[in-house]
Amino acid sequence: MRITAFAQAPYRFMPDDFEQHHNSVCDTPYSLANRDGVYASIKDFMDELLHAARAGLDGITLTEHGQSSYDMMPNPDLVASALAYATELEGLDVAIYPMGRSLGKTREPIRVAEEYAMLDVISGGRLVAGIPVGLGYDAAINNGVPPIQIRTRFDENLELVLRAWRDQEPFAFNGRHSQYPMVNLWPRPLQDNVPVFITGIGNPRTMQLTLERGFGFNYFSFGGANLTARRIFPRYWEIADSLGVPRNPFRVGFLQTIGVAATDAEAERIYAGPAEYAFRKGLGSIPSEKLLIPGGLDIRGLQALLSDPADFGMTAQMKNATFKELSDAGAVIVGSPATVRDRLTEFCKEHGIGNLHAMLSFGNLSRQDAFANIEMFASEVAPALRGLWDGSGFAHHWWPERLGGQPQAHTPAAERVTP
Amino acid sequence: MNVTEQTLEVWGGRLSVRVKTAGSGPPLLYFHQSAGLAIDPFVSHLAEKYTVYAPELPGTSAGDPYAIHAVDELSDLVLVYEEVARKLDISSAVLAGQSFGGMLACELAAAYPSLATKLVLLAPLGLWREDLPVTSWMTEAPEKLPGLFFHDPAGPIAQAALKLPEEPAQMVAAIAQRVWNNGCAGKFIWPIPDRGLRGRLHRITAPALVVWGKDDRIAPAGYAGEFSTLLSGSKVALVDECGHLPQVEKYKETAAAVDEFLA
Repeated sequence: MRITAFAQAPYRFMPDDFEQHHNSVCDTPYSLANRDGVYASIKDFMDELLHAARAGLDGITLTEHGQSSYDMMPNPDLVASALAYATELEGLDVAIYPMGRSLGKTREPIRVAEEYAMLDVISGGRLVAGIPVGLGYDAAINNGVPPIQIRTRFDENLELVLRAWRDQEPFAFNGRHSQYPMVNLWPRPLQDNVPVFITGIGNPRTMQLTLERGFGFNYFSFGGANLTARRIFPRYWEIADSLGVPRNPFRVGFLQTIGVAATDAEAERIYAGPAEYAFRKGLGSIPSEKLLIPGGLDIRGLQALLSDPADFGMTAQMKNATFKELSDAGAVIVGSPATVRDRLTEFCKEHGIGNLHAMLSFGNLSRQDAFANIEMFASEVAPALRGLWDGSGFAHHWWPERLGGQPQAHTPAAERVTP
Repeated sequence: MNVTEQTLEVWGGRLSVRVKTAGSGPPLLYFHQSAGLAIDPFVSHLAEKYTVYAPELPGTSAGDPYAIHAVDELSDLVLVYEEVARKLDISSAVLAGQSFGGMLACELAAAYPSLATKLVLLAPLGLWREDLPVTSWMTEAPEKLPGLFFHDPAGPIAQAALKLPEEPAQMVAAIAQRVWNNGCAGKFIWPIPDRGLRGRLHRITAPALVVWGKDDRIAPAGYAGEFSTLLSGSKVALVDECGHLPQVEKYKETAAAVDEFLA
């Protein structure tokens, strides 16, 4: 089991009633922020990720969201590069793992390929490349991409990025969405086979893509894993079975918000407030119409979602979620080391998860409490999980070789039919 | 009103465009708004004096959602519609359109000036002024949409227009289709409904009628004058107590203005 530290960069000093008056994306008034608050929010966020590397976790993961107050991260590669260099200086063998640059959003796919190549070089071959389609508001509003082209851009850009890393000779690229007379990256990634993870929310088509092509699959539990996991993971593994793909747990990544303290009661005292802050002022304040922009979701996916929105768990109730509701839904796991250990072990075993992305700083959790959470998780929870798949016979093909993985070449795309 | 439907193979066989036809008389090509084609009382009224041909935007025809992927650019869509007109043996016709469809009518008339005998434009999109931003309705909360599209969102006309099927599966299908239709139109108007029409409007030689609701909260009525200035020989009809859909919210007034213009 590989265990990374995941973090987003929320503005940590929002007014208590923020969610009653504002959205957390696109039109959030910048007058709510001040210079010191912005500086501290980003500084603490980066310090916490570096602290997690020092504490012995296996990787540093982060996401991309533009014009967003719950994750002030217009380009995660900027932060990832700073941390790649810092960890290289300190000799910390952790994966540098943006989850990452949205290929449905970007109008500069070669720039993404170049940034990832740079990250792999700066980190000495420790890049894990997360490649998401991206959220509707981020691609369509923040970057002006027609929603109906988000998926077709993603598909095209993904092939371009992989080819730009792989091909030895310069090539011309004549795409529907971008054209380049000559693609010839300097530098290329150090790794011959950069591990690639694609983030999914439940769409069988995305699951199938990752399985057919040999990419890893990341799933985020923000909507409450107790509500969603028994839908998502069996679906994924059934598709794997139907394709004849082995149930290797290392191809799956799972993101979970976690708070650990000496006792269950102490943990609730520390983490309940920041958890409510995180979900109410973050995900809970993204209006659905900014996520489900017409054209952004395939008509069949839309029919499925309207008929049965349960893949999204309690997302629609997040704006007023209480800690108890978040905890019951599994959106957060908070408790003593034993409580958290047991819950995570059972969960990862049940669903065949070989990569855990632990969100250990969230909402307005103070820097000191985040550091303490990271330390206690790294020393008292992570060690018990690491060996979960020892003896399973599976190798980790989605992890850098320098960090003990055995990455493999991706399966080339067959003739893909649009859509 | 007897409405027939035909499917035309165009675009080198890569597209099947569905065209609904009603009425008899000289030809009139009707271009629908982003939500999709509705044979409403206004279209039926036009069919009393014209043979109305109403092509469905690729992707918006029930059961054929991915046709939209066969058309990449607005310029290609204009060519598609010109092919549709030729397949219908129409060499010249009245071009009418509402909102997004009004923009398409203008684009077609600008590309093929001899195709249009007259233009009926109901709150057309296609222009942009910094001081009159067009509302980005596709990212607005669903509960706000009635108030954006109608002067009187609580009135019986708006309520009837917004009514969805009660049977759950039909309701889901209707919502999904409407949302997808907007997504298809979005390919040609996202994120700003301005693809350079301003520079092409001078090519239009046919007389035009520009109808606009005075309380249009999607595309402000100030655009009526803008179109009028750019389209020589055009007339403007402003409709009182009316939002973005004059043919729906003020059907009688709109039909009267259009009848006078086409007479």
